Amino acid sequence: MKIDRRCFLSLVIGGAVGTTLTPVPWKLTDDIAIWSQNWPWTPVPEDGPSKFVKSVCTQCPGGCGITVRTIGDRAIKIEGQPDHPVNNGSLCPRAISATQHLYGPSRIQGPMKRAGERGQGKWEKISWDEAIKTVTEKLAELRTRGKPHTVACISDTDGNGSSYLMDRFLQAYGSPNFIRTPSSADAQELALYLSCGRQGTIGYDFRKADFILSFGCALMDGCDTAGQVMSAFGEQDKKTRLVQIEARLSDTAAKAAQWVPAKPGSETALALGLGHVIVRDGLYNKAFIDNHGFAFEDWQDDAGNTHPGYRSLVQDHSPDKVAKATGLSEKVIESLARSFARAHRPVAVSGLGSAAPDSLDQALAVFALNALAGNFQKPGGVFLIDEPDYLSWTEMKIDKTASAGNQHPRVDGAGSEKFAHTRYLPNRLPEAINSAKGDSPVQALLVAGGNPLYTLADPRAAQKAFEKIPFIVSFSTFIDETAEQADLLLPHPHFLESYQDVPTPRGMAHTVVSLARPVVKPQYDTRHMADVVIQIAKNLGGFIENAFPWKNYEDFLRKSLSDQWKTLEKKGFWSDSRSRDTSLDKIFRTSSQRFEFFPMSKFAAMNGNGNKKAGVEKIELPGNIDKLPLVLVPYTSMRISDGAVANTPFMTKTLDANVVLENDVFVEINPKTASEYGLSQGDKATVKTQAGRAEVRVNLFEGIMPGLVAMPAGLGRTGFSDYIAGKGANVYSLIAPAADPASGLNAAWGARAAIAKA
Amino acid sequence: MSTQSDNQTAAAGNRSSGWVVFVFFMIGLVASIISGWVAFPKLLYSTKQQPIDFNHQVHLEQMGGQCNACHFFREDGSFSGSPTLEECKSCHMYPMTGNENEQKFIDEYVNQDKEVPWLIYAEQPPCVFFSHAAHVRGADMQCATCHGDIKNSTSLREYQENRLTGYSRDIWGKSMLRLGEPDHGGRRQKMNDCAECHLKETGSKGNCFQCHK
Amino acid sequence: MTQQPQHTKTKRYGMVIDLDKCTGCGACMVACYAENNVPFRQDESDKMRSLNWIRVMKVDNGKPFPDTQVCYIPMPCMQCDGQHMEGHSPCVSVCPAVATDYDQTTGIVSQIYTRCFGCRYCMAACPYHARKFNWWDPKWPADMEKYLNPDVSARMRGVVEKCSFCYHRYQKARDKAYVEGREELHEDEYQTACAQACPTNAIAFGDLHNPEHAVYSLSRSKTAFRLLERLNTNPKVYYLSSKSWVRRKADNYLEGENPEQIREKARKAAATH
Repeated sequence: MKIDRRCFLSLVIGGAVGTTLTPVPWKLTDDIAIWSQNWPWTPVPEDGPSKFVKSVCTQCPGGCGITVRTIGDRAIKIEGQPDHPVNNGSLCPRAISATQHLYGPSRIQGPMKRAGERGQGKWEKISWDEAIKTVTEKLAELRTRGKPHTVACISDTDGNGSSYLMDRFLQAYGSPNFIRTPSSADAQELALYLSCGRQGTIGYDFRKADFILSFGCALMDGCDTAGQVMSAFGEQDKKTRLVQIEARLSDTAAKAAQWVPAKPGSETALALGLGHVIVRDGLYNKAFIDNHGFAFEDWQDDAGNTHPGYRSLVQDHSPDKVAKATGLSEKVIESLARSFARAHRPVAVSGLGSAAPDSLDQALAVFALNALAGNFQKPGGVFLIDEPDYLSWTEMKIDKTASAGNQHPRVDGAGSEKFAHTRYLPNRLPEAINSAKGDSPVQALLVAGGNPLYTLADPRAAQKAFEKIPFIVSFSTFIDETAEQADLLLPHPHFLESYQDVPTPRGMAHTVVSLARPVVKPQYDTRHMADVVIQIAKNLGGFIENAFPWKNYEDFLRKSLSDQWKTLEKKGFWSDSRSRDTSLDKIFRTSSQRFEFFPMSKFAAMNGNGNKKAGVEKIELPGNIDKLPLVLVPYTSMRISDGAVANTPFMTKTLDANVVLENDVFVEINPKTASEYGLSQGDKATVKTQAGRAEVRVNLFEGIMPGLVAMPAGLGRTGFSDYIAGKGANVYSLIAPAADPASGLNAAWGARAAIAKA
Repeated sequence: MSTQSDNQTAAAGNRSSGWVVFVFFMIGLVASIISGWVAFPKLLYSTKQQPIDFNHQVHLEQMGGQCNACHFFREDGSFSGSPTLEECKSCHMYPMTGNENEQKFIDEYVNQDKEVPWLIYAEQPPCVFFSHAAHVRGADMQCATCHGDIKNSTSLREYQENRLTGYSRDIWGKSMLRLGEPDHGGRRQKMNDCAECHLKETGSKGNCFQCHK
Repeated sequence: MTQQPQHTKTKRYGMVIDLDKCTGCGACMVACYAENNVPFRQDESDKMRSLNWIRVMKVDNGKPFPDTQVCYIPMPCMQCDGQHMEGHSPCVSVCPAVATDYDQTTGIVSQIYTRCFGCRYCMAACPYHARKFNWWDPKWPADMEKYLNPDVSARMRGVVEKCSFCYHRYQKARDKAYVEGREELHEDEYQTACAQACPTNAIAFGDLHNPEHAVYSLSRSKTAFRLLERLNTNPKVYYLSSKSWVRRKADNYLEGENPEQIREKARKAAATH
C-alpha cells in the first residue's frame, strides 16, 4: 500500500464532502451572521416594567405638566401631561429633550472648588461639608466686618419656594440684594402694578379669546408660555383671530390670521394710535371706563393741577402720524383698531417671551387697549393674577447687624428714589460694580439659578464686573457660562431628580401651582440649593438659624403647603379658581381703586416730570446712523433655548442648515438689503454694532423688513458641552443695554448695526 | 508508443491503488461527519450553570399550579418574565425550608439586595420583539408548547451558550439542522421556526415588524 | 405577497397633517428622536448626513416683503402603498435583502436593521428622502445611554433607517388589548410619538379605513393632498392646507397646470377603477 498525494487529497475531499453533510458550514455561516449583528458598542437598553410619573418642567417659567416614562430608575421619555391645566398635554422640544440634559456631559457631578485661574476650567473635587464650610466662613467673616449688605444673590425667579428661602436667608443675614435675572416679564409686572395696583402677573384667556392682538410676543417662537399658548392654538377653531405685530415673519406671524409688519420700536406709537381710533370713534367700553377707569379724561390732583388723561394722550396719535412712525398704512391702522374694538372677547398682549424687552410705556399702552375693551375678569379676557401666596411663613426675628445691612440701598438701584417701583434692575448691576471706587460693592455673589453671564445685556461688561467680585458661588446644575467663572460650584440637582414648587406661569388666566418631583434618583453628588442654604443658616447660628426651622426643602414644602401638599403629591398640581372672580369691584387696588390709564402720579414720582405726556414713546438706539445704517434685532426660536440653560443636542439637531451651519450662525436679511451690501445666500459676513462684532453667515429671507438684520438668541455659548459651545454668537453681546428712563429696566429693542462681506 | 505505455505502467505502479484512495476518502468523510455532528456542537457551546438551582415543581405546588403567579402579565400588556428579587422576597425574606439553594439565595441575593443573574433559556436577541400576550392570550397557547414541561421539573437544566453568538442553545440549535424536536420538549425558537408555525396557524408567515424592532 | 391572516381586519394606518396648525416648533422631531433612539452628533448641519425619521421642511410663497408667507411641512416616511395599493412601494421593490417589507395588515413599511447590509438602493428609490444611512456608529456621551428606549433597537453603522410609524407602540397597544381580552384598538391607544407630541394637534394619526378615526374624514376633505401624487406611490401621509400656494408646492406642477383639477381627475379615475 502506497500513501501518496492522491490519498491525502482524497482524505481532504472526503472531509469536505463529509463536512457538508454536517451542520458545521451551515450553522457557522448562520452564527457568524448573527455574531456580526452584535457589536458590543451598540447599546442594548435594559427592559423592565415601565411607569409614567407626573411632574412639571422647570426649565423655563412656563410650568408645563409632564409625564415621564421610566423603566427602573431610568427616565426614558418626557411627554405632555394631558390633563394639566397649563399645557393640556402640549410641550415644546426643550421639555421633551430634557433627559439629554439629565444624563448629559454638561452636568456638574459634585461640589468643586476652583483650582486654576478663574475661567480656566480647572476644578478640584471637594466634599459637601467642605463646600458648605467655605461659604459659611466667608459669609460669617463679611458679617463680622459689618458688611452683610455686600452679599448679593442672583436668581432666575422670585416666585417659588427656593427663591423665597434665598431671599429670606439674605434678610436674616442682612442684605437687601436679592436680584432676579431680566426677562420680558419685568415691564409687564411694573405696568400691572402701576395701572392696577397689584403685584403679580397678567393672565390672558387665550383659549376663549376671539381676537388676540400680539405686539411682537413670541407666542409660538419659544416664549415662556409655549405650552399654554400652543395647546390653546391647537384647540381653537379657526374663528379666533390672531394678529401679530412684528417686523419679521416669525413662526407666530406665520400662523397669525394677519401679520402686521410695523417697524421695530414703534409698538408704543401703534398701541396709542389704535387707542386714538377707538376713542375717536367712540368704540370703547363706556361702562367699564365710567365705573372702573381713572385718568381716561383729564384729571386734577389734590394740589389742583390738571393732568392730561388718556383721551388727550392719544389725541396726538392720529393714524397719519402713526403710519409714519410704524411704516403701516392708515387703512391698516384704522381697520385694526376697529376689528379689535368690535371683537367680542379681544385681548391685547405684549412682552410675552419677546426676544427684545418692552419699555414700560409699551407695556402700559398695550395694557390700556384691554381697558378700552373693558374685558377684565371675563372668559376670553384679561385676568389679574396675584403673586404666589400658597406658602405660609413663620415670623422671623433679625439681629441688629441684619437690620443695619437691610437698610442699605440695593446695589442695583432698584427701589431707589429714581426707580421707586422697580423691584430688580439686574442690568444695572455690572455698571454699579464697574463704576464703584475701591472695593466692589458686591463681595460675595450667590448665583442661585439663572446664568447672568450669558443672559445679561452686554455680557462683556458683566464679565468685567464679575472679575471684581472676590467670591462667586454657583448653584448651577450645569457647567454654564456663569459657573465657568465661579470660585465654588455647589451643583443643584436636575429638575427630574428633585422637588420644586412651580407657581402660576405668566399668561395663565387662573392660579395653577404645580410640583416638580424626583422622577429618578440623583445621578450625581448634588444637593438642592435650598437644602444648602438651610444648612448654611444653621451653621451661622443665632437669629439666622432660628429663621430656618426646617430640616430641608422637602420638610419646608410639606409644612408650608400643609393640606395642599397632598393634592400636589397626588395630582401634581392644584388650581385655584378664585382668581377667576368675575366681579370688578375689588380687583383694582390703586389709590383710585380703578384702572389707571397712564398712572401719572406714579410717573411723576419716577420722572420728576409730572407734565410729561405719554412718557417715552420710543427708546432711541445709540450710534451713528451713517456708520451703522442697519438695525440688528434679536429673535427667539422654539428650537433654540435662549435662557440660562443651553440647547440639548436634539434641539440643535432640528435646526435647518440655513440657521446654523457648522459653527456659523445665520442672520436673516431681506434680499433687497443684501443686494445693497453685495451679499448672497450663505455668504460669510461680519455684523458690527457699538457693543461688538460677530462673524456670521447670511440667510436671505423675504419675510424680514428691509434694513433689519435678525439674529437668533440662544447661541454663542462657551459653557455646557461640545454639542452647543462654540456655535454661533450671542446676540445680546451685540446689543448694549438702553435704560428705560421711566423704570430703569433695560429696553434696548435692538442695536444700530453694519454688515459687510467677510 | 511503447515509451508512452511504459511510462503509464510506471506511473500506475507508483500510484496508490483505487481502494486505498477510497479508504482515505471514507476516513475523511466519516471523521468529518463524526466531528461535525458530535464534536462541533460540543465545541460550539459552552456550558454554564445557573447561579442557584430552582425547583419549579415545588413552587408550583405552593402557588396553586399557576405559572402566572410568578410569570405574569403587567397591566400594560407586557410580560414580566423571570420574577425579580422584589417578587421573590415577598415569600423568601427569611428561609422557609432547610433547602440549601434557598439558603444560598437568601445569603447571596436577598441579604445583599442583588438581582439573581438567571440565565434565560429562551432569551431572544435585542432586535426581536416577542409578544407573550399575543400567544398566550390571543392564541390561547400553553406555556409548555414552547418552553416544554418546565413546570414539572425539579431542577434547572444546564445552560448552553453559543460561543459565537452568545445566545442560548435552546433558541438556536438544540435541534441542529431542524431534525426532531429539542430535548426539553418545547419548540425550536429560531425565526424560521416562528414563521413555519405562523404559516400553519394563521396562513401567513407574518411581516418583518411583527417580530423585529 | 404574504397572505392576510384570517382573524385580523386589514388596517391602513395613515397620518393627516394640518399645515395650517403646524408652527414648525420641532416637537415632533425631538419626540421622535427620544422615542426611537435616534443618535446625534456634534455637528448636525450637514443635512445629507443627519439622521431624521421626521423632518420639518420650511417653504415660502416666494413673494417679496410684506406679502411673504411661510409654511412648515413635517415629513415622516410616507408609508407608500404603491401604485396598485398592494404594497409595491418604491423602497420595498428594490431591496435586495428583504430588509424592508410592506405589512399587509397595517400598511406600514418596515425596516429591519439587522437584515440591512447598507446598499442604499432604497434611499435612491425613495422620492421623499425619508430614508437615512448610518455613516457612523452611534455614540451617546456621558450617561445618555440611560434614556434609550428598549422598545426600539439601536442601529449600527452601515444600515439604513427610517420612520416606522412607531410600530412598537402598535405592538404594545395590541399586547394591552390581548391582556384585556380585546381584538380592536381604540384610536388613542396607538398614536405615533410625533402625533402625540404635536403641541398644536396638527398631526392626526389613525386607521384610514376606519370611519370612526379622525384621519378617515380628514384625509377625504377638500383641502387634503399628498406629496408627489403623480408618481403613484400612494403615500399614507396626507396634508391639509387652506392655502392654494402650499398645495401647489406638493408636486412639480407646470405653470399652466391646476393642481386641484389634476387631483380631482385622479380621484375620479381611482373611483372608477
